[in-house]
Amino acid sequence: MTALSKEENRLIRLDRMRYTKNSLSSSLTYLAILFDVLYFVSIYESDVGNWYYNHVIGISVVYNLLFMLIAFLSSEGVKNYKLSYSVVLLALGAGQIARIFYLPMRALSETITRMDPATKQKVTVSIMEKPQFTWVVVCLAVSALCCFAAGAIGVYRSRTLAAYQATLDEQAA
Amino acid sequence: MANISLQHLDKIYDNNVQAVFDFNLEVKDGEFIVLVGPSGCGKSTTLRMIAGLEDISAGRLLLDGEDITAAPAKDRDMAMVFQNYALYGHMTVYENMAFSLTLRKEDPNVIHRKVLAAAEILGLTDQLNKKPKQLSGGQRQRVAMGRAIVRNPKVFLFDEPLSNLDAKLRGATRREILLLHKRMNATMLYVTHDQTEALTLADRIVCMSMGHVQQVGTPLELYETPANLFVASFIGLPPMNFFNVTIRNGQAVNKYFTVALTDAEKQLLATYEGKEVTLGVRPENIATGGDVQVKVFSNENLGMSTLVHGRLCGEHAADAAITCKLRGWCDYKAGDTVNVLFEKRHFFDKETTNAIR
Repeated sequence: MTALSKEENRLIRLDRMRYTKNSLSSSLTYLAILFDVLYFVSIYESDVGNWYYNHVIGISVVYNLLFMLIAFLSSEGVKNYKLSYSVVLLALGAGQIARIFYLPMRALSETITRMDPATKQKVTVSIMEKPQFTWVVVCLAVSALCCFAAGAIGVYRSRTLAAYQATLDEQAA
Repeated sequence: MANISLQHLDKIYDNNVQAVFDFNLEVKDGEFIVLVGPSGCGKSTTLRMIAGLEDISAGRLLLDGEDITAAPAKDRDMAMVFQNYALYGHMTVYENMAFSLTLRKEDPNVIHRKVLAAAEILGLTDQLNKKPKQLSGGQRQRVAMGRAIVRNPKVFLFDEPLSNLDAKLRGATRREILLLHKRMNATMLYVTHDQTEALTLADRIVCMSMGHVQQVGTPLELYETPANLFVASFIGLPPMNFFNVTIRNGQAVNKYFTVALTDAEKQLLATYEGKEVTLGVRPENIATGGDVQVKVFSNENLGMSTLVHGRLCGEHAADAAITCKLRGWCDYKAGDTVNVLFEKRHFFDKETTNAIR
């Protein structure tokens, strides 16, 4: 086969989208799910008595499940260049950012008093130490970033493919 | 494309069973070779040895003069199409066809062009986004061929690719393979047990039995001048009729009939005077109006011709069964007697089973 010009390459890249999946967006979404898992594994590991065990933790658990379900469905949607799923991913990204200011921030700023088993004295401790806080924020931020990137790429590619398909339909008509 | 040279190939399995004996063949560039024979005759084993899927026990295999006897399958630049398609069910047609090139890390744009070109040749352009389970058997086989085409190999190997298809689809796909060969002018080796496929597709046929090559020749050569009894009985549908006859005073004689030999036949059989030989007659070389009497058992009208199954007058010996393909529409009843003549005859040595030439 002969060497292709830049324009030919661009057109072939466009045409290829008709037969190949948007695997980049899909993979980024899986990455977002992975970092969400790292987040919730980390946030529940603190031994802070029963501070977590109220409606906050309930909402958090339910949200994690919903996030994973919706993100997984969206990964399949964006794989097939569905614009609506790309928008959903952008919304999920925004949600991940918002979560930073909900549970981690509260846990960082609050303290509890408990009995130290070694000294048998009451001590005041932070719900979440700084290193753990940094880690969970990084996890949520990366998860959000992946969602934004997957959504943005999905929107761009879906629109590009739709425009190209419209051109082809026009030519065929 | 490619020339292939198979020199004294043997295949002996670990349990000491020998599947192929001294296989010799020169395949010319662009030639369509069909290996035909009954099940277990070693044709698929030979093809797999060429592909590199089976070790060669003895002999040499050359591709364009280069010895590839010990080369691994991936380095042989050959593409094989299997009977069961071997498609990936979770991939689309496009992905299946592009898969081998993707593994080679070729430029995706180049892959795209190759896949579209192959799909165009095979009429699969509208099916590229479908999964194999959404396709018919014929379309799946075309995808398997497309996967071979995109690689642009030196040699195409087909291992009974039409066996899983119904009769109608088999005919259509056979024509597509023929067109594909004409279009690509590629060297192709094709294994089948179906003589119709062999006769319609091949430039040359290799007829095999029990691991031995029986005859190599054009379809017409195998049909008109079979080398031995096996080829004569295997090629042709319905198969050739065989009778034991004794050559005596310019005649072929047995207890059912006496046939006067032509001058050419007399010359051919001069050394067989007084000896027993096998006389072969194809059903389509039998016509009405001779001295040989046939008692009809059944009558099958095919439109342009009639298949008459019977026995040579009233006898029930095994060698007296005869099938005649008579021209036109005949309405014989079971028990009728028909007089026939043998228009073209083949003679075979009784001991060696080779054709007498």
